[in-house]
Amino acid sequence: MLKIKNLHAKVGDNEILNGLNLEVKPGELHAIMGPNGSGKSTLAAVLAGREAYEVTDGMVEFEGTDLLDLEASDRAREGVFLAFQYPIEIPGVSNLNFMKAAVNAKRAHHGQPPIKAKDFLAKVKECSSLVELDGRLRDRSVNEGFSGGEKKRNEIFQMAILEPKLCILDETDSGLDIDALRVVSKGVNAMRSPDRAFIVITHYQRLLDHIIPDFVHVLSNGIIVKSGGKELALELEAKGYDWIKEEQNA
Amino acid sequence: MTVLTDIFKSTLPPPTRKSERWKYSPIAKLLNSTLSTDSSEIDSGFSNEIAPNPVEGLEAYRLVFRNGRFDPSLSDLPIAKGVICMPLSEVSAEDAPEFKNTYSKTEWVGELNESYHQDGMLLKIARNIKLDRPVLIHHLTDGKDVASFPRHFVRVEEGGEVDVVVWSSATTNSSGMYNGILEASIAPNASLMLEKVCNEDGEIYHFSHENIIQERDSKFKMHTFTVKGHWVRNELEIISRGKGTDSIFNGAFLPTGNEHVDNHTTMDHTSTDGTSSELYRGIMYGTSTGVFNGKVFVRPDAQRTNAFQQNTNIVADRGASINAKPELEIYADDVKCSHGCTVGQFDLDALFYLKSRGIDEKAAKALLVKAFLADVISNVPCTELREEIMKIYKERHGW
Repeated sequence: MLKIKNLHAKVGDNEILNGLNLEVKPGELHAIMGPNGSGKSTLAAVLAGREAYEVTDGMVEFEGTDLLDLEASDRAREGVFLAFQYPIEIPGVSNLNFMKAAVNAKRAHHGQPPIKAKDFLAKVKECSSLVELDGRLRDRSVNEGFSGGEKKRNEIFQMAILEPKLCILDETDSGLDIDALRVVSKGVNAMRSPDRAFIVITHYQRLLDHIIPDFVHVLSNGIIVKSGGKELALELEAKGYDWIKEEQNA
Repeated sequence: MTVLTDIFKSTLPPPTRKSERWKYSPIAKLLNSTLSTDSSEIDSGFSNEIAPNPVEGLEAYRLVFRNGRFDPSLSDLPIAKGVICMPLSEVSAEDAPEFKNTYSKTEWVGELNESYHQDGMLLKIARNIKLDRPVLIHHLTDGKDVASFPRHFVRVEEGGEVDVVVWSSATTNSSGMYNGILEASIAPNASLMLEKVCNEDGEIYHFSHENIIQERDSKFKMHTFTVKGHWVRNELEIISRGKGTDSIFNGAFLPTGNEHVDNHTTMDHTSTDGTSSELYRGIMYGTSTGVFNGKVFVRPDAQRTNAFQQNTNIVADRGASINAKPELEIYADDVKCSHGCTVGQFDLDALFYLKSRGIDEKAAKALLVKAFLADVISNVPCTELREEIMKIYKERHGW
């Protein structure tokens, strides 16, 4: 589904990704861990198409097309979804109008007519109950006045509505209490399917107790320095990141 | 060579850029033109480019002024107990209202209006009368080099209520000057709502001045929309003369191309316990220029005044600009006054967030613009008017 080869990217003059390679197949869930500043969020931003990030080398192929060649909105329409680390508040734009516009933009892109109001509302009901997002939050302006946990649940709600092929979760666990973490994880797990893939970026093993990864990668200085199964996360939790750096230097 | 000041004589000189009030709204080009109030030179028949009722579906009493002159055939005046609504040209000398604003004594624009006014509306609402429909004043300019000088007088007596819409339009080939004054006084416990919309094609220099006097416990609510206009200056002056008045005045302007929009507002609290709330939002496109100047005076006797002012501007394109200046002068000590003024660009984080969900840049910007305007537009009490304004904005900006 996703092939990243030798990806280099920078912000301003800061080189952040330095030749990253990663392949994600349908149905897989990859966790990406790593110390602060290792490039995890940059990877998410580059995949989603954030303009401030400049790709200087390498390629990213998504279902056979050059992802880097697409506008951010086209990437989303093709099925890439980024759950933001810090979801943006947009006063005056209602959450539901936002989602309706997004759903219809995607449908138009695939040559489908706009969604029927009844079908949309049914979908909203289903997805909001998945992440226990009550009607009050659904109907308000996008993320305005939401607590940290509510914002993250809203990200998963949007993900469920848009049914992407590739879901990228950028530190979705940050700022969550235990209950919210459970709700968010439940939402993610409910969406796992043989033809949907996930890249889950996290600092902590904690999230991976709830969302079990197929692969764990450690990112350091903009490249993946170690990959393994879910047990790698436990090892990192116990030993920190330093041993990997030492292993690299040895 | 004949210039404007040869045709329209005045004792006051025209403003120049040396005057602070006119620094960012120069009128040199207008002064070099030759305009006329003689509508006989203008082709006959109402332009079919613009309907007599510019707001689809709006049920309102209507006064149509074409190139400054009242057109009875296109108008529909209210006949209701306690309501006087008629063109000034038909008012007898003894009933003629006395305009009290000082604008004609202090400003060239005001003096021209006083000297050369052709017609206008007299509206009087008697005690406790609430008019069932809005009164729509429609100004239409449909000639070249036209000068029109309408002036309107509104008096709402104690407990009365009325909603007035002032809509100006102009045909594509029109040009000239619109110089209009509206003076209103609102008696104790009375209420006036005023919606002013400028939707002019052509090349009109549009000057409008509203002068509002509020007495004890009266309510005034106004919206000023500059939907379209070559060169527009909206001046609003509200004087609170009695205890406990409430004034709400909001505005929106979205100039494109090389349009110019200037909003000058003055809120003068002279008495106690008044509240005022002002919200102006602008988005500058293309190479347009904008001005916002909002004065709030709280006089020594105006204790317990609560005044709020906010002006938020987005400069959407590289060539556009706005000069914005809040001016607060507070001479009372027990007051609550807050103000904010910002000039910025589209929020790139918000844009990216919307795009990351599949909404393209243009649609994302439209969503943000509609959200930006919502606080101003959603307060317009009349649904048809609100929808008409949004419809024109949508057509104009391709939302």
